[in-house]
Amino acid sequence: MQSTPKTGETFWLWFTKIISGAFILFILAVHLTVNHFLAPEGLLTHTEVVAYFQNPLVVFMEAIFLFLLVLHSLLGLRSILLDLRPAEKSRRVIDIIIILFGVFVSLYGLWLLNAVRTMGS
Amino acid sequence: MEPQKNDPKNLWDWFNPKGRNVGGWAFILNRIAALGLVFYLYLHLFVLGKLAQGPQVFDQFIATAKSPLYILGELLVIAAALYHGLNGVRVLLTSFNIGVPQQKQMFYTALLLSVLGTLVFAVRMFTVH
Amino acid sequence: MWKITYRVHRQKGNEPPHYETFQVEVDPEEYVLDGVEKIWASEDRSLTFRHACHHSTCGACGMRVNGVEKLTCITKIKDVVQDGGTLTVEPLRNFPVVSDLVVDLGPLYRKMAAVQAPAVHALSMTPWEGQNIAPPADIPMRSADEEYIRLPDCIECGICISACPVAATDPEYFGPAPLAAIQIQGLDKPELLALADSQEGVWRCHSAFECSAVCPSNVDPGRRIMDLRRQVSAKRLKLA
Ligand code: HEM
Ligand code: SF4
Ligand code: FES
Repeated sequence: MQSTPKTGETFWLWFTKIISGAFILFILAVHLTVNHFLAPEGLLTHTEVVAYFQNPLVVFMEAIFLFLLVLHSLLGLRSILLDLRPAEKSRRVIDIIIILFGVFVSLYGLWLLNAVRTMGS
Repeated sequence: MEPQKNDPKNLWDWFNPKGRNVGGWAFILNRIAALGLVFYLYLHLFVLGKLAQGPQVFDQFIATAKSPLYILGELLVIAAALYHGLNGVRVLLTSFNIGVPQQKQMFYTALLLSVLGTLVFAVRMFTVH
Repeated sequence: MWKITYRVHRQKGNEPPHYETFQVEVDPEEYVLDGVEKIWASEDRSLTFRHACHHSTCGACGMRVNGVEKLTCITKIKDVVQDGGTLTVEPLRNFPVVSDLVVDLGPLYRKMAAVQAPAVHALSMTPWEGQNIAPPADIPMRSADEEYIRLPDCIECGICISACPVAATDPEYFGPAPLAAIQIQGLDKPELLALADSQEGVWRCHSAFECSAVCPSNVDPGRRIMDLRRQVSAKRLKLA
């Protein structure tokens, strides 16, 4: 215990985690339905995926999905790591790694999304 | 004030179900599911990179993904996502002091719905895939 | 009378902990603490444990009985073991062990001080149980705006902190009893809002509700943490 409160996790980060979770629940429902129930043979083939991504709304939804998942999963992971009460220095290292990883995965995801979308044209 | 020492050995206390109550089980399952989902999510994104390598590579992968072992693994992921997501709603509501006295019933409901949901997916996947 | 075995956690100084067993004759209607006292009285005077009131008021006798946190002065032997059975008693978790069954509750007391936990408070500050408390009609109020005051329910036994999975790895986490003490006061004081809305405040809780399951004094700290979250959220979202 210490006299000045630590600000490593406060309301807005927690709120982001919980609200992103709620949105993920909805998009995940769409995601699972499309990939397992609407896919004629059970899982989408390459051609079907490319066709699906010709709809700009789908691209938009998938980009949001990607962004929310990266945000939520990394905030969740960080919250688990904070339960171990890392030293202030280690916490900064954790934060940097998490941010770099999050940015990298988001860029990779957007690149992949665009690559698939443009395969149709 | 002097900070107390923490003991990484106690990490097991997060997961040890001995002596835990209903809310404790909900927490244990939620954390295990969450860790599994994080691992799966980034594996999934990596594997989907095959989409960029064209139809041959991707469709060959899709063919392997329809083997029973893959389907079982996939069902585990679906079960984890359903439970973690539905329990997430329970955590969200209780976090605003809504339904805290009913938290046990909400946990049982989340668990039941996840099992039912997983069964629906299992039927679909083992019959159509 | 029942013949039961007490399996007792022993630890002196820096030596590694071990367990010692004692055969004890008890009345099943007696309490777990009574059995521990019998061992001390007739078997081993070096056994250390804490108690004072014997009626769930002082908060000194918290231990783990068969792995579950109990206030041992009100836990009946017949409720935790059968005739001929074995009863394991261990000190509370998540506090430094001083000796045998005695832990240092100092960290909890310091946190209670940090959150300015009131020694007595107005009846209206805890409306959840206040609804069931009828103020004595025969004690007149001196003035119209005078309030009935009462002792807080929390007896600072530390049982909730022992049961909390997060406290197991983060000793700086304020934990159930101190956060409940903030909830009772509300968030008008900026320093309490800052403590509640911090890394070691309400956001460390992951809703296992183990604290509420073991609290012997009706505090329901888990629900109070959740209500404190609601209060912090309302403040941050400028709804209150
Ligand atoms: C399906 C919708 C989802 C919802 C409604 C949801 C909701 C939540 C909530 C409310 C928490 C806070 C739990 C707590 O602190 O006690 C949480 C934690 C977490 N979530 Fe999710 N989540 C969802 C999906 C996911 C997915 C897909 C992942 C991983 C890719 C994920 C990863 C995590 C992690 C790592 C944590 C931290 C777990 C912990 O504190 O034990 N979540 N989630
Ligand atoms: S909240 Fe309950 S369990 Fe925790 S210290 Fe107070 S009385 Fe004991
Ligand atoms: S001896 Fe006082 S509470 Fe048990």
